[in-house]
Amino acid sequence: MSLRDWLSFLGGKKKALVDAAALRAEFAGRYHHFKLFLNANNSVHELMTDIEEGLRGTRPFGMHFVRAVCTRLSTAVFQVVKHLDALAPGKYAELFARFDEIQKQINPSVFPGKARSGGPLILRLREVGREHVDLVGPKMAHLGEIKNRLGVTIPRGFVITAEAYRRFMAENDLQVEIDRRFQAAEVVATEDIFNLSSSIQQLIVSSPLPAEVEEAILAAFDTLRDSEQISDLHVAMRSSALAEDLVDASFAGQYRSKLNVSEEELVAAYKLIVASKYSLQAIAYRLQRGIREEDVAMCVGCMSMVDAVAGGVTYSRNPLNAHDEAVQVHAAWGLPKAVVDGSTEVDLYLVSRTAPHRILRREIAEKHTRYACLEEGTCRMEVTTLDSARPCLADADALEVARVALAIEEFYGLPQDVEWALAPDGTVEVLQCRPLTTSEEDALGAEEVVPEDARFGMVLLKGGVEASPGVAAGPVYVVRKDADVLAFPRGAVLVVAHALPRWAALLTRASALVAEQGSLAGHLATVAREFGKPALVGLKDAVSALEPGRMVTVDAGGHTVFDGRVEELLARARAPKNLMLGSPVYTALEEAARHILPLSLLDPGSPDFRARNCKTFHDITRYSHEKAVWEMFRFGTEHDFPQAAAKQLVCGVPKQFWVVNLDDGFSEDVLGSFVNVEQIASIPMLELWKGMNAVPWEGPPPVHTRGFLSVMFEATANPELEPATQAEFAVKNYFMISRHYVSLQSRFGFHFCTVEGLVSERASENYIAFQFKGGAANMERRVLRARFVADMLTEFDFGVRLREDSLTARLEDREQTFMEQRLRVLGYLVIHTRQLDMAMTDAAAIAERRERMLRDIRVLL
Amino acid sequence: MSLRVLLVDDEAEFLETLCKRLARRDVEAFTADSGQAALDFLASGEVDVVVLDVKMPGMDGIETLKRIKALRPEQEVIMLTGHASMEAAIQGMQLGAFDYIMKPTDISQLLYKIEDARKKHGLKAGAGRRDGGGGR
Repeated sequence: MSLRDWLSFLGGKKKALVDAAALRAEFAGRYHHFKLFLNANNSVHELMTDIEEGLRGTRPFGMHFVRAVCTRLSTAVFQVVKHLDALAPGKYAELFARFDEIQKQINPSVFPGKARSGGPLILRLREVGREHVDLVGPKMAHLGEIKNRLGVTIPRGFVITAEAYRRFMAENDLQVEIDRRFQAAEVVATEDIFNLSSSIQQLIVSSPLPAEVEEAILAAFDTLRDSEQISDLHVAMRSSALAEDLVDASFAGQYRSKLNVSEEELVAAYKLIVASKYSLQAIAYRLQRGIREEDVAMCVGCMSMVDAVAGGVTYSRNPLNAHDEAVQVHAAWGLPKAVVDGSTEVDLYLVSRTAPHRILRREIAEKHTRYACLEEGTCRMEVTTLDSARPCLADADALEVARVALAIEEFYGLPQDVEWALAPDGTVEVLQCRPLTTSEEDALGAEEVVPEDARFGMVLLKGGVEASPGVAAGPVYVVRKDADVLAFPRGAVLVVAHALPRWAALLTRASALVAEQGSLAGHLATVAREFGKPALVGLKDAVSALEPGRMVTVDAGGHTVFDGRVEELLARARAPKNLMLGSPVYTALEEAARHILPLSLLDPGSPDFRARNCKTFHDITRYSHEKAVWEMFRFGTEHDFPQAAAKQLVCGVPKQFWVVNLDDGFSEDVLGSFVNVEQIASIPMLELWKGMNAVPWEGPPPVHTRGFLSVMFEATANPELEPATQAEFAVKNYFMISRHYVSLQSRFGFHFCTVEGLVSERASENYIAFQFKGGAANMERRVLRARFVADMLTEFDFGVRLREDSLTARLEDREQTFMEQRLRVLGYLVIHTRQLDMAMTDAAAIAERRERMLRDIRVLL
Repeated sequence: MSLRVLLVDDEAEFLETLCKRLARRDVEAFTADSGQAALDFLASGEVDVVVLDVKMPGMDGIETLKRIKALRPEQEVIMLTGHASMEAAIQGMQLGAFDYIMKPTDISQLLYKIEDARKKHGLKAGAGRRDGGGGR
């Protein structure tokens, strides 16, 4: 808050509320909005943490996560603005406009427009080329391409297109229902995904096809039967999902195929294959590779069933060894299914890459099973003893199969994985081809580093919360006050008692952060993550246990601070591979995050700290928080109470303090114009009061002649001190209270101070704010006194801001008992620093007084 | 005084579960399976808070919210939805919804929101003040 703001204490307008009841009602409303504001503010920080977590890419997530997190975040930020507006109607209206603007920027990346639609429901394979990839999926587009451009033999057939799929999904809002189930699923364990997968697949299978789609499929089948001239035609149905080629991903075995399907089963098989978009492995795979659900339209290829003599898979080169160029032909008896699903031992034929092609090696296996076509579907059969040991391919067949694979590789310029069948008439028919995946399978996540303490040397501290991941080493540097900042060495480990936002600037220079207190949602933790600096917060005794200058290794994930440099840990802490980087889902989150996470409004004191400069949700939240606290606070300072509303406090004898009950601050009805301290139910007020009365005030300090003269001089030079306005400066001390809230304003002669506190069992809502200004001595002494008080407050975890002789201090986000202790400290300081400005002369006296006060305060804690 | 809540959702199963769970926490929950049913209920009965599903066949949640607010401007409404939509969320908030929560939601979270909404409603209506002695 700026000095300009605080000046209003001294000359601000007074809102004279005639009616204490009205004042109470207004306060109660504001107080409630303020609490809701703080809740929303916390949600924003939690959600931003979720986004940062996602961007680290170490855990797979889908578009559902991106949408949910962005929607929740929008809601929370909107509430932040709304509740601030309720605290100061219209004053920050600019924020609504900024909010709309930012939200509009986020929306397209999170909710992209409708996928392209239109096109025929059916395409015949002989019409298909690579230009149809958006209609038939890459698998069928490739098949059409090699048939129509390269002349490779494939079975006759047709594709049920993406347009057919879209119409199916639009029928009865099927897709909408699927999305809803996804969004609302509570996925905690694998079992939950299993239930979700199964419920969605059942839903799809039991939903009716649009009439025009069903008719188109059956008509295409009739046409195929006529051209094959087989009355009892059966087809193989294979998935060909859109987006399979979006990432460098294999998609192997993602979706279902149905072999040997008759006309009666056509529609059911189609629905089953479409449903396999939501099979367990397909959901998991898309998640892991960051593929968006909505990009995956299921196209289905229907091709005449080849009752193969033998079949298999050919790799146009060794997928595991780039130096091995031989073509690998894997073959089994019957349908290639036996090879694809690994259900039997298979023959391997290695064929030379260069012409004239020759067999380099044969590995003939004992092949005990084969798949064959039945009336409907396929079955597994025993292979006769005679055939089992026999090569299932003649050399000429093996060479032919290899040549086809090499031709396709040359055509696409990429190593290929080709599934083929040997028809009874000896032709090699290609059923599927795709680029060969030559990378090893990625691990699902980074290996957890769990340090075995003994191996990594001495443990100095253990515990706390991982606020930002990683491991780093450096010399310990404890920062207590602003002056320490200047000397902070680059690469040191920043150790602080309280994770105050003001230390954020140090994180660019620090190697790691250790704080005794703080939370994941705190600003400092946010910045640590932004800068990629490991941070451990909530690590008790860090300041006393870590001696300055000592070399330590901070392992945030392991919640440990080790003695010295632990090279092994430092080496292991390489950033885990970001599996999702570059994927469509990741990119969507990345784009959204650009309008969410960056924080440009760093300094509330800067002239640029304005609503109109908010560029991100983070900016809006930061700005609103600053203003909400100020608006809440102002309420206590802007109201001049009618005497009737205030009751004089009695603590043994009547005190020079008056109390205004705003809500539920009294434990019983209080009649008359006095309230006894026993009748006070306000938790924070009682703590403050305890501190104020812990040690009797010894009265004004002895005034040095110079001090007294300085007061006299100020009294003549300062117009505010003229007799006419003396009344303004009469002793007036007000408490405004509710059960969990206190606001104290007091004026002692020439100086003015305010304390405000909100204390309950909800730690995230707790805060104490303190302002202190003025005095009667000359400026120099007032400044000295303000520094003296600031120094004391810093000692007790307050964040302090000094502007000449005015001081503001804050403490927030701490649990109840801690807040209560600090209120006692503040109470003590309020009383015992009165008129201290006059005694601010020699250093020895100041030091002596400081020691005495610290002794007093320790008794209070 | 126990909380009175109206749950509006077209999913019978969801309504039933939520009702049971809220009852265990001393909340008197009423149900409506459509926007129209909710409006009919509110025409005669009063509740502290309405919990409203966004996506319903026929009259959707946003439309229902508009009509509830037209009928009772002070009625606090919490939107609950299985569909993430930034625009619907903000539209709901701008129409005066107290909050917009996405399923799955933690029952305590929901209850906490309901309490906050009721408190706000009470403040606006000038009720719900525990007067510890105003000295009159």
